[in-house]
Amino acid sequence: MNKKWKSAICTFIKWFFLICMASFALIPLLQVVFNSFRSDQEVKAMPIGLPQKATLENYFDTWTIGEYGIAYLNTLLVAGVVIAVVLTVVGLGAYALSKLDFRLKGFMTAYFFVAISLPSFLYIVPDYSLLNRLGLVNTRVGLMIVYTAMQIPFNMLLLKTFLMGIPRELEEAAKIDGCSELDSFLKITLPIAKPIFLTVALLVFVNVWNEYLWSNTFVSDDALKTVATRFVRFTGQYGSNMARIYTASVITMAPIVILYLLFSRKFIEGMTSGSVKG
Amino acid sequence: MKRRKVKKSHLVAYGFILPAFIIHLCIITLPSLSTLVMSLFDWNGLGKAEFIGFDNFVEIFTKDSVVKLAVIHNLEWLAVFVTVPLILGFIVAILVSRIKRFQMFLRTVYFMPYVISAVVAGRIWTAYMNPFYGLNTIFGKMGFEKLSKVLWLGEPKIALFSVAFVDNWHWWGFVMVLFLGALQQVDPTLYEAARVDGANSLQELIHVSIPGIRQTIAFVLIMTIMWSFLTFDYVYVMTNGGPANSTEILATWIYKNAFVKYRAGYANALCVLQSGICIILYFFQKWVSKRGGLDDE
Repeated sequence: MNKKWKSAICTFIKWFFLICMASFALIPLLQVVFNSFRSDQEVKAMPIGLPQKATLENYFDTWTIGEYGIAYLNTLLVAGVVIAVVLTVVGLGAYALSKLDFRLKGFMTAYFFVAISLPSFLYIVPDYSLLNRLGLVNTRVGLMIVYTAMQIPFNMLLLKTFLMGIPRELEEAAKIDGCSELDSFLKITLPIAKPIFLTVALLVFVNVWNEYLWSNTFVSDDALKTVATRFVRFTGQYGSNMARIYTASVITMAPIVILYLLFSRKFIEGMTSGSVKG
Repeated sequence: MKRRKVKKSHLVAYGFILPAFIIHLCIITLPSLSTLVMSLFDWNGLGKAEFIGFDNFVEIFTKDSVVKLAVIHNLEWLAVFVTVPLILGFIVAILVSRIKRFQMFLRTVYFMPYVISAVVAGRIWTAYMNPFYGLNTIFGKMGFEKLSKVLWLGEPKIALFSVAFVDNWHWWGFVMVLFLGALQQVDPTLYEAARVDGANSLQELIHVSIPGIRQTIAFVLIMTIMWSFLTFDYVYVMTNGGPANSTEILATWIYKNAFVKYRAGYANALCVLQSGICIILYFFQKWVSKRGGLDDE
């Protein structure tokens, strides 16, 4: 009897703790969503609580005043191009690193491995002056270029690890049938590796969507700003309206949260994959 | 004939790898190297640069009092992040790994703050920490008079820790998922063997779980230590180094020098210092964990 009680108390404490931590992660976010449906006075009087009379006014105001339509388009455009280029160059590169033989293979693998840990402050100043000389500061193309370069090393190694798991015999068979290396990559490897390509696309999208330092530094024109920079500018300008800050937060994070809820396994596995080889 | 064929297949491989390599080399590696060189120049970032030898470094170590403050803040940051999220993540990972239901659900919940952009998380919590319209209102209504008057981001003594709290909120779930993944890889027969030997759950933890995930612990430690000197987003968004430099860290100070004061040469010298600290800490950590048996490479 005594032992039973003890284990029951243990289970209770365990679950209580786990639920507390889950609330710690979730409630601040849920409250942001609730607050976005409340009026500014209501939020200011009591920052925690359910909306008494749900209103969509905050959303109309924030979306139009914050010019989120343009910001969404800018970010989607930048992210789309970056995803396409990264998938292409990283797909080919990872294929070479995992399947083909060439003299600099060891060097290249080590290069991308070291490159992962280069801190962005080491190259942001020279990149600014480089892009300035090319006339690419304050353009979306400039952002696309730096984002693409930054996304390469991590995703290269992520893809390489996955592609190594695909038996080389499949591609060899295709080559015997007269396929070129590129053909066998496109017709054999790509269909098998589709899930990992989707993971890479998701990770790149999240990184571009959430990125702030570079887009804030390199783009000053409001019409070209991405969602994250637009958000910071908006909350800085209209900081006195708390309800709108919460609403802007929801507008800014909604696409990422929705994607996360749809593909949480891919997110978690992709984002933590760097530690597998540690 | 055969030789030419080998070479041709090499050519294909180079054709595949070079686009990624060249993009990365031009945008990241070469500029990084130029930072090393430009740290010896007086330069505003756009115009002509003037070679001044080690003057920037002399200024860092003798004249610039903010640098010392920033390094101290980075060390405080490090002290918070090698303890709180690691312990929290570890405990929760252990508990989650031992339950049978809702494991995936809890993992998804704990990881959620990690996918949210730093600027949004920073602004949300800045709103919650607002002295008049934030959580202080609730503390006041609950009767905690003193607590309701705290300026979470405005009081120099606690501002840095308020920001660290928010960064922790975003970060610990990631650490937890890393630990959980590692714990699930531990060979279950080891636990059975321990149980046969009569080990209780605490002994199991110390003799099976922790050794089983020691490589992950070493990895998280290295990452935390290096990243503690590189962190930028949360501080920049929430306090931007203020009030009165009380949350100034190396990264925000670099940013201000480069893009507010237009002292790119000096900022580059600070970047060299920052990277140097990271490299030294990296090797120090490697050495320590080798001696402590965390790493067996």
